[in-house]
Amino acid sequence: MGRKIIRSEYHLYDEKIDTLAEVPESELTELPNNKDLKIIGKGIPRIDGRDKVTGKAIYTFDKTFKNIAYGKTLRSPHPFANVVKVNTSNAEKLEGVIKIIHADNTEDIGWYRGNSKLFDKVARYEGDEVAFVVAETEVIAEKALSLIRVEYKELDFVINPVDAAEPTAPKIHDSGNLPPKHGHRTYSRGDFENGIENSDLVFEQEYSTEVAIHNPTEPHCSVVNWEGEELTVWDSTQAVFGVRDTIASSLKISESNVRVIKEYMGGGFGAKLEAGKYSVMAALVSKEIERPVKVVLDRREMNLAVGNRPDSYQKIKVGAKSDGTLMALGLTNYGSMGAYSAGAGAHWPLRTLYKCENVKTSEFNVYTNAGRARPFRAPGHVQGTFALESILDDVAERLKMNPLEFRIKNFTPIDQDSKLPYTSKLLLEAYEEGAKKIGWNKRKTAGSDKGFIKTGYGLASQIWWGGGSPPAYATVKINSEGNVQVLCGTQDLGTGTYTIIAQVAAEVLEIPIEKIDVLIGDTQATPYAPSSGGSTTAPSITPAVYDGALQIKAKLISAASAMLKLTEEKLVYANGVIHEKGNNSNSLKASEIVKKMKENILVAKGARNENTSNYALNTFGVQFAMVEVNTLTGKVTVKKVVAAHDIGRTLNRQTLENQFHGGIIMGLGYTLIEERVMDDYTGKTLNTNLLDYKMATMLDTPEIDVIIVSETDELISAVGAKGIGEPAIIPTPGAITNAIYNAIGVRINSLPITPDKVLMALNKEV
Amino acid sequence: MSKGKKSTGLSRRQFISRAGTGAVGSVVLLQNCVSGNENEKTGEEQIKFKLTGTNSLSLTVNGKKISTKVNENTTLVELLRDNLNLTGTKVACNNGECGSCSVLLDGEVIYSCHMLALDAEGKSVTTIEGLMDGEKLHPVQEAFIEEDGLQCGFCTPGQVIAAVSLLQKNPSPTKTEVMDGMAGNICRCGAYPKIIDSVLKASKKIKT
Amino acid sequence: MKEFKYIQPKNINEAISVMSRGSLPFAGGTDILSLMKENLIDHKNLVNLKNIQGLSKIEKTNSGIRIGALTKLAQIAKSELLKSEYRILSEAANSVATPQIRNVGTIGGNIAQRPRCWYFRGDFNCLKKGGDYCYAEVGENKYHAIIGGDPCYIVHPSDVAVALLALDATLTLESKDGNKDVKISDFFVGPEADVTIENILKSGEIITHINIPRLPNNSRSAFHKFSERGVWDFAIVSIGAVIEKKNRKVKSGKLTFGGVAPIPWIDEELNRNLIGLPLTENSILKFSKEVMKNAETLEYNEYKIKLSQGLVIELLTKFI
Repeated sequence: MGRKIIRSEYHLYDEKIDTLAEVPESELTELPNNKDLKIIGKGIPRIDGRDKVTGKAIYTFDKTFKNIAYGKTLRSPHPFANVVKVNTSNAEKLEGVIKIIHADNTEDIGWYRGNSKLFDKVARYEGDEVAFVVAETEVIAEKALSLIRVEYKELDFVINPVDAAEPTAPKIHDSGNLPPKHGHRTYSRGDFENGIENSDLVFEQEYSTEVAIHNPTEPHCSVVNWEGEELTVWDSTQAVFGVRDTIASSLKISESNVRVIKEYMGGGFGAKLEAGKYSVMAALVSKEIERPVKVVLDRREMNLAVGNRPDSYQKIKVGAKSDGTLMALGLTNYGSMGAYSAGAGAHWPLRTLYKCENVKTSEFNVYTNAGRARPFRAPGHVQGTFALESILDDVAERLKMNPLEFRIKNFTPIDQDSKLPYTSKLLLEAYEEGAKKIGWNKRKTAGSDKGFIKTGYGLASQIWWGGGSPPAYATVKINSEGNVQVLCGTQDLGTGTYTIIAQVAAEVLEIPIEKIDVLIGDTQATPYAPSSGGSTTAPSITPAVYDGALQIKAKLISAASAMLKLTEEKLVYANGVIHEKGNNSNSLKASEIVKKMKENILVAKGARNENTSNYALNTFGVQFAMVEVNTLTGKVTVKKVVAAHDIGRTLNRQTLENQFHGGIIMGLGYTLIEERVMDDYTGKTLNTNLLDYKMATMLDTPEIDVIIVSETDELISAVGAKGIGEPAIIPTPGAITNAIYNAIGVRINSLPITPDKVLMALNKEV
Repeated sequence: MSKGKKSTGLSRRQFISRAGTGAVGSVVLLQNCVSGNENEKTGEEQIKFKLTGTNSLSLTVNGKKISTKVNENTTLVELLRDNLNLTGTKVACNNGECGSCSVLLDGEVIYSCHMLALDAEGKSVTTIEGLMDGEKLHPVQEAFIEEDGLQCGFCTPGQVIAAVSLLQKNPSPTKTEVMDGMAGNICRCGAYPKIIDSVLKASKKIKT
Repeated sequence: MKEFKYIQPKNINEAISVMSRGSLPFAGGTDILSLMKENLIDHKNLVNLKNIQGLSKIEKTNSGIRIGALTKLAQIAKSELLKSEYRILSEAANSVATPQIRNVGTIGGNIAQRPRCWYFRGDFNCLKKGGDYCYAEVGENKYHAIIGGDPCYIVHPSDVAVALLALDATLTLESKDGNKDVKISDFFVGPEADVTIENILKSGEIITHINIPRLPNNSRSAFHKFSERGVWDFAIVSIGAVIEKKNRKVKSGKLTFGGVAPIPWIDEELNRNLIGLPLTENSILKFSKEVMKNAETLEYNEYKIKLSQGLVIELLTKFI
């Protein structure tokens, strides 16, 4: 079980991430299919369930210390303004205020990749940080905020990306609103114009989607404490190592002096993939006052300042032959990055999902005076798939083809950029099983239902990454009681990471899951694992746990061989006990073996395997939606969603189902009710609470069926699991939108499809 | 008493303390500050944080009589979390718009972030911490574990409390009645289908 | 919330005496707490009404029903008496927010609540707050008024008020000057009369009872609230209906509307046209085209006309 170090390259969008990683030298024994396994694949209850249902789980939100102080942030009320003067004298006089920091009394710390600072003297969106107060209580800190006098010079602002891309728009950064390099990105393959020329049908349409806010239930929060030069940060984060590195470089200290801990967290969805300014601000003050500092964002800040899914203004042009073959796909898109640099594109599904030789895309990632975007559960893919699947649905109908047949017609078995085959693409199987389950043949001609309540069916497919990669490590330990602990520097956002780690260890070591403890999310105690984003966690860490557990098993067998004075071929490992073949009474329990080791513990470090370079690593799936549209009121009710996906191995049926439910329900909310609303005339956000920012409730829940068509994906890793968090949400908006069309016979091309849009669309036809 | 599927009820904390796996550093020990979370008992000890309340308040919390001091603008959830260190009840919106702070007040489910602590005078509050019977889980808690009615868990205490209240009033709810009763609790992770399953399972457990 | 004094009177006279010196009445608090947390109202002194006895009963009287203003919405929603005889009120109360809010919110508080307009509730010095103009008039106004607006376009958020308007309820108000009964149609104040308030309550005056007259014998009533989400949301448009049927026609009826105007809305001409309306699909459809025909919509709320008409069709169809 040798090791080597490789250069690990993996792709996320156009980014190529290049690091050194330790990987096993040779391939590990593949896990059998789930039906032959004892615990992997089964829907066992999550191991952190008890802590959560009893209220005993301590989240960063709950973390506190006896002498803790509380921090609150003063934020610009204006969309675009120079911060001329910050006067804290009244605030400082308030009893209980300990320290206030802002641009004038704080060293410059670079932020947003050097394009701004911790406290910038230009506030570029409503919510941009201007000062930070630390006080004895949260209430006092809040009061102090209202006593800080700031002189702003308001500037002309712009909040729509199409407007902001105009050369005459107010310049949000000195370089303009389209940054060099990624302000305008293009892609092309084949010959788009030629493809259009040779098409029998050419169709063009515009689509738009609004900004959506992650709004995880636990707000962003940090608790920081110094011990001498060493800083510990408890953070509600999806990226303990990323946060550590950012905080260390911001404070100009070594990473080894910063420890980031995340035990339980209340959701993230991508909003918690980076360090917050508030954590650095808290650390600066904490060092000076020599007390721990806690900072918790309120719901308004959650809606303004910690990320969003960008909007999109897409124009798609499709050329197709009359038999449905796609000849050309073209996209122009404008997306708001917000006030600082972020990804705002949507072209990947159009580029990769269906077979098409001639593709041309032009995307504008534009600065706007609004909160900066952050990755949000399948960034770009949700907006892009909605528009792509809407237009293909439209084209299919114009060609008088069944939308499902149209998708099947344009199936591609290879990745069209690299020309590599996929490790697995069971999309056709997913189409078949999903269509059967929803009853696709019940679908009628669009708008043909009689009566006021009309039923419709729609579908959309998805492609995503989700193969994971090294570096990812897991330390597996077994002690003299035969108890096992697995340590892995990963994160569980509610995704079930704790449980799948325990399941893999339990399966290999054949011991009850109750004997396995899992520790994650601690940059000092647990070995490196990637940030939990991009649906990379399960596929990256489970092979590392697998490797570590196999090593422990091998060590136990080797030790038993020494103790029993038998060669390893004469030994059998079963249920945590090693016995002589054919002589069960000559045996040793794992605990007995470890007791015999001087240090009373056996340790192994597992590592994720190298990725294959001969295949493209992707996940695929399709969702079918059945909706009812009330044409009197415009209300859309999603009655049923069938999701059929190829995601490699199911690790835990119950938590997997839950993830799919969650993605679909979030997708439903995005399609029908969620949107950030800003006032055009003042540049301010109008819905910063959970009443006005509408998320799906219990009463919006449809019936959901989840079908997994894959058994495993051995080309990814010996465990063969791929990530599911993002596949779960990508097809939902497209499926629901197409179902709405099928119900009422009128296309609505902008999300969210709120009742007013349905009513206006229906009455426009009349 | 239900003879349902055995839940993996082992608390992770208990396991670490019993396992002795030699994972040094996995329990954080800090010199200059003492964790405020260690004392999880209610009513026996009031951890004095910095709330210098000026109004006396007497109420019962999880069966124990409490006498404390609060300010007029102290909300019930602040009393529970900050004065009494009952951090099981969460605050996600602080405006009665999400349900994470749900507790029972004289048996009725309410938003504790949206109520003055003084309005709980003389009343009886049950929080998530008050549902267990010693170390034994409440049937609703068991059901949520078995049916996986949770993901990140932050809204879970509120969901469990709302379910307890629903089943107290309607021990045999239909699926629609479950949905109506749980409607005041948002779950951003989207665990609603399994929350419904959990409540239906809990109702079966309670009846047997 | 800022600091405040919390006064706890033991009876109504004490309460009124304190309130007339400028304290805010505080019942369930579900609306006031939000206003306090956002610093939208001066809340130096709060008067707790919840200990006042005798104001939370639902009682049959000689003339109909009397409900104490401190009765919780949950109690109203589950009252068997109301479900059978005044279904519209039961349904309206049951449609408010969520179970948790209904366990705390009172009917009096629901009637007296302030608007939800996001400019009013947000960081905008709008007309209603003493500023210079209405931000919604030319702004994000999809939820705003389509009738009776100008100069302010809020919609009154109370579902219960829409039901009470259809029921011809009167409110008993009490102040240091004694008590008086006010028709609910006279209780609300439109923006053209005074843009800064929504009802006639003076400082030191509270609602003590809601009085509902008995309905004619063959009456049925219903309430229908339309919202974007399944729960929590305030009405986009809501309809209340009290219909007296005879021979498959409407003998007399009242339709009232929420979510369309700054006050709960009643269209007398429309209700006159109800008289004699045959309860058939076709005539209901034809009738619905009269609904909101005098609306003056804003840039984004034209759909509310169609929505109102659609809801009337749905509701009247239930009476067929």
